[in-house]
Amino acid sequence: MREKEKERKEEISKMDVVTQMQRQLIQYTSSLFQEGFLDDQFNQLQQLQDESNPEFVVEIVTLFFEDAERLLNELSKSLQVEQESIDFRKVDAQVHQLKGSSSSIGAQRVQRVCIAFRNFCEQQNVEGCLKSLQEIKQEYSLVKTKLETLFKMEKQLFAARGSISR
Amino acid sequence: MATTKFRHVFGGLWGFATSCKKNSSTPIGSRILQRDVEKEEFQYASILCLSKYYSVFVVRLAIMVMLAILIGLLTILTWHFTKIYTTKSLNSLAYDLRYELLQRPILRMWNILNSTSEITMAQVKLSQYVIRSHGNLTTQENQVEMYEAMRAVTWALFASRKALNSITVKYNNGFVQAFHRDLKDNNTFYIYSDLANYSIGASASSYNSDINYSSLSSQESWNDHDNKSAVWYRQPLDPVTGEKIGKAMQIAPEDSIHIAGLSQVPDGVASWRVVVSKFTDSPLLSAALPVWDASNKSIVAVVGVTTALYSVGQLMKELVELHSGHMYLTSLEGYLLATSTDVPLLTNSTKPPKLKMSVDCENEVIRLGAEYLKKSSGNKFPPSHEVHVANVRLGHDRYYIDSFFLNLKRLPMVGVIIIPRKHILGQEDKRAFKTLVILISASMCIIVIGWVCILILTNGVSKEMKLRAELISQLEARRKAEASSNYKSQFLANMSHELRTPMAAIIGLLDILMSDDCLTNEQCATVTQIRKCSTALLRLLNNILDLSKVESGKLVLEDAEFDLGRELEGLVDMFSVQCMNHSVETVLDLSDDMPKLVRGDSARVVQIFANLINNSIKFTPSGHIILRGWFENPNPCSDNANHLMEEKNLQCAQKTRTRQHENHAKRTSKRDNKAILWFEVDDTGCGIDPSKWDSVFESFEQADPSTTRLHGGTGLGLCIVRSLVNKMGGEIKVVKKEGPGTLMRLYLRLDTAGDATEQHCLVDIANNGLVVLLALHGNMGRSITSKWLQKNGVFTMEASEWNGLTQILRELFHTRNSAGINNDFDLHYPIHESLKSKLLSIQEIKNPVFVIAVDIGLLDLSTDIWKEQLNFLHRYVGRAKFIWVLNHDTSNTIKMELRRKGYMMTVNKPLYKAKIVHILEEVVKERNHEMQKKNMDELHESDYTHCDAASSDDSDISESGPCNPVKSEKVEQFHRLSLYRINNCLIGLTDEHSEANNTPKKEELCQNNQNSPKSLSLEQDYFPREAHQGEDSESRGKEEHRIIGGSARPVNGKKSLEGLRILLAEDTPVIQRVATIMLEKMGASVVAVGDGQAAVDALNGLLGVEDFRRDSNLNERNTRSSSSQTEILSFPSYDLVLMDCQMPKMDGYEATKAIRKSEVGSGVHIPIVALTAHAMSCDEAKCLEVGMDAYLTKPIDFKLMESTILSLTRRTIS
Repeated sequence: MREKEKERKEEISKMDVVTQMQRQLIQYTSSLFQEGFLDDQFNQLQQLQDESNPEFVVEIVTLFFEDAERLLNELSKSLQVEQESIDFRKVDAQVHQLKGSSSSIGAQRVQRVCIAFRNFCEQQNVEGCLKSLQEIKQEYSLVKTKLETLFKMEKQLFAARGSISR
Repeated sequence: MATTKFRHVFGGLWGFATSCKKNSSTPIGSRILQRDVEKEEFQYASILCLSKYYSVFVVRLAIMVMLAILIGLLTILTWHFTKIYTTKSLNSLAYDLRYELLQRPILRMWNILNSTSEITMAQVKLSQYVIRSHGNLTTQENQVEMYEAMRAVTWALFASRKALNSITVKYNNGFVQAFHRDLKDNNTFYIYSDLANYSIGASASSYNSDINYSSLSSQESWNDHDNKSAVWYRQPLDPVTGEKIGKAMQIAPEDSIHIAGLSQVPDGVASWRVVVSKFTDSPLLSAALPVWDASNKSIVAVVGVTTALYSVGQLMKELVELHSGHMYLTSLEGYLLATSTDVPLLTNSTKPPKLKMSVDCENEVIRLGAEYLKKSSGNKFPPSHEVHVANVRLGHDRYYIDSFFLNLKRLPMVGVIIIPRKHILGQEDKRAFKTLVILISASMCIIVIGWVCILILTNGVSKEMKLRAELISQLEARRKAEASSNYKSQFLANMSHELRTPMAAIIGLLDILMSDDCLTNEQCATVTQIRKCSTALLRLLNNILDLSKVESGKLVLEDAEFDLGRELEGLVDMFSVQCMNHSVETVLDLSDDMPKLVRGDSARVVQIFANLINNSIKFTPSGHIILRGWFENPNPCSDNANHLMEEKNLQCAQKTRTRQHENHAKRTSKRDNKAILWFEVDDTGCGIDPSKWDSVFESFEQADPSTTRLHGGTGLGLCIVRSLVNKMGGEIKVVKKEGPGTLMRLYLRLDTAGDATEQHCLVDIANNGLVVLLALHGNMGRSITSKWLQKNGVFTMEASEWNGLTQILRELFHTRNSAGINNDFDLHYPIHESLKSKLLSIQEIKNPVFVIAVDIGLLDLSTDIWKEQLNFLHRYVGRAKFIWVLNHDTSNTIKMELRRKGYMMTVNKPLYKAKIVHILEEVVKERNHEMQKKNMDELHESDYTHCDAASSDDSDISESGPCNPVKSEKVEQFHRLSLYRINNCLIGLTDEHSEANNTPKKEELCQNNQNSPKSLSLEQDYFPREAHQGEDSESRGKEEHRIIGGSARPVNGKKSLEGLRILLAEDTPVIQRVATIMLEKMGASVVAVGDGQAAVDALNGLLGVEDFRRDSNLNERNTRSSSSQTEILSFPSYDLVLMDCQMPKMDGYEATKAIRKSEVGSGVHIPIVALTAHAMSCDEAKCLEVGMDAYLTKPIDFKLMESTILSLTRRTIS
């Protein structure tokens, strides 16, 4: 009997932990939305996630990370100062891609900087482009850490849930 | 003055001429203004006009100034000349006067001088005579005797001249005899020297020696005598008789008068000089002459005569008294001799008295005059110099000064006359001043009057100019206002994406929420409410954006050929559903002459009517809404007439229209291909107050603000309508209407494509002995249809309710069967006279075919009676063709029942021309068919071949033959699709119906759907047009999509895109993945490629797809869909392509072009949906231009994508 009670208590405490984590997760997510890191596109992504694609969001975001890192590398390469002439069209196309992918996962701050970046590209403003590149990098790393934290929390929650169900 | 007047008139004329010129140039200006105010022209015009305005102003000013100058000049000239002439004449007159004046004292002077010299001469002569007669003056007695004689002679002379002052005789021996007249007290004296002191001999010797030796020494000796030893006596005399009256008194020589001595005549000739004596206060003129002895060798005596100049002064005084002014006479040295005043001429201060200089004169005027003369001619007055000065200021007054030179030997004199100017020219000066004043005031008056005249004359011009300037400034202001409003609109247009995206997100999320099962009822209600509100908000947003798009000029009207009639029919179909709920009848009444194909923006045209009808529905609780359309009618008069006709008899008007059209069609066809299409939307709603007729078309304007509460709405709909109509070169207005409701009339200018009018296939249905019985609910629709049919030669009858229908049926068929029963029926059912006559005329028709269109609403559906009614009607099946007019909400049991009974022809409400034509054609063909193959036992299969072709008409007639289930199913399916296209609202309902109706068939089809290329290829025959239409309706009905989003969701757990094969061309892996998942969630199978080239290859059936798949990191999904991969290989066709616009290698536009190119000739048209991150309409235009069918913006909206894909692919799934 005592063992059972103990188990029950443990379970209850675990449940508490889970609800707390859940709350934390929700708070964190909503803070991300409030601070403008993410927009409703991310919600749509989450909507798309179901039993058939349990890791869909993570997958997409990882894809985004890979893509963005590749693009950022290319961008910083093509925007190197030593280069005589900068191929603005190429830069523009790259930024456009980045914009598309960031908007698709709902990283709207990155997307916004991308729009500014493209304006600079149109004006062929090297300084502005470099500035924007820095901004994008910053925003990207920010959103990356945020999202990673989010996923970590989700994972933890999932693990906790798993332990309960077990 | 005359010239002034002339100038004035001329100025006026000139002003008039300029104004005329201005007037003649006005039309140009106004024409310019009337044109569309294009910027440049406008500015040009404004500059022109403003400059004109200023030039008029300047010209006016110039004319005025010129006039002023002219008149001023004339005045001055006139004044000057008058003055000059007057002054000249006056001056000469004055000169004469002065000369005259001066002449008289001078004459007197001369007189005095002459008389003095004469007397002196006479005295000399007499003395010579007396002395000679007493030749030897040896004795004292002789001498005394001679002196006595001399005294007598001298006295005689002296007495004869009263003016003489004195006569003196001084002998060479020093003896002096003198007579003196004291002018002061009028006493006469005899003055003589003591005789005893003089010895003749001594004097004689001295005389001789004097003469002999030197006259100078003798002269001195005379003087010595005089001064030293002479004793003088003075004896008063009686002035008249000369007798001595008193005692002689001894006087001192100084006291005596001046005695002329030898010194006065040094060279023996006469001498003149002015002297002063103490007895008189006036200067005296004295003359001295020597008396020679007989031998003329020595001077015996010297005679001196003195005359007072007093009389000259007296004369001057008299003259001056008469003429005023001053006169004076001076010696050459400047000593005053005589003046016209009483001032003393001698200085009193010194003893003896001396002459005064004229500059020291006590009289101010004389002194000043003298000073002036001295100043002007210097100290030394040159001889024979005369001065005439007309205007000298002395003291306070102005004077004339004239001086004359009087050249006397030894005594040159100067006469000066000073006359105050006032005296001579005073009047003249005054007059001149007055004249000047009058002249100036007169000229001032003329100038003022002239100005007034000029002002009046040019006022018209300047007023016009002012008005024009005002107009310009107002136009300017208006332009500015328009520009600012444009900015606003532009801003809104640019904001479109930003505004719509969040709304779409909201609605999408709400849909997700609503589909969630875990919501409580309350929450669900709230969410539904939110959903409704969001939809409303989105609609409003769309309206505003539409409006701003139009206003900012970003709306570019498409120019594509479209079937106007079909569009409108679709519209009416759509709205009829909405109207049913309101118990409002929607009727489409297009005249036959409407061109079938027109060029323009079909979506916008439909939007116009959608808005109008929507508006009408909103305000019409019951009654009907009629959309009328007819071809052309630019003539407003005939239009009015037309209108009146319509009021009286709507149906008859059609004929009139046709006739009018015939006239106008020729006219219009001459002008381009532009046709004027008139439309009317007529409702029986609450109507609009006439005062609001204009304002309802303004933004946010509603006829009655209170209706907002009742009906909602923003007041933007009509504004959009007007903007669009104006954009299409038309006009819209509210027209007066009899009875309740509103009548909106508009016309559009559209290009007619090819033939202006269509050739109706009515030939087929006319003269075929058709008798149509219209048993329809709606009065308006029924009567219009009936009239139209009758016009086209089809016999019609009408029934509005069940009883009427039965009555007619009985009448019709029973009379035909047996005339005997007819009478019985007459008794039981009294028949209308008109009906009777109709029946009679029907009987005359040979071999009639009866067509009975029965509104399902005529049956009593509330109870089960309808079944019996159906059975009743079924009795007539053999004798008449039945057409069932169904409502959109007709229950399936009824439909099943109808189908069970073998009724093949059903048609959905509303019934309009195209549907009727189609039905009747059907009937006719069937009959012909029957007649041809009466004997042959054949199935109706062939009937349906034409059905496919015919059903490209936009009707939803469905036929189902029991013998040919597959085909009829296909047809039905097609109809559902077309219905969807017309009215998205119907999708769900139709869906439901079809699912409920024939579920097994459907399932079967679903299974076969992917691998039924047969049906697919068949469908593709309609594809191009359908796709095109779909796109139109897509853009038109975006909002409807959203509204019906809920109903379009999968029912019964089915996924909306189940079975669709979609090719996704997207380079960004993230988006690619997201889109893939989205589509797969909707049930579609997706093949993703990374660039445009791959997409083209994939469509062309190349295996590049697979290659890509391996590359892409779709790990899990790949394996799962490996089964479908085999399908791809076997069926390399896709239902739809989602194409990103910006991709490496080949972008979306290029890829689309390539795909469309490859499609040419094959008749295949695969729908391509663009995916783009650009939100502006130009991109949309570009997408559509290269051949894409629709357009989605990134980030991809779940709902929007679903509805778009559905709308494009609906026909391939069922």
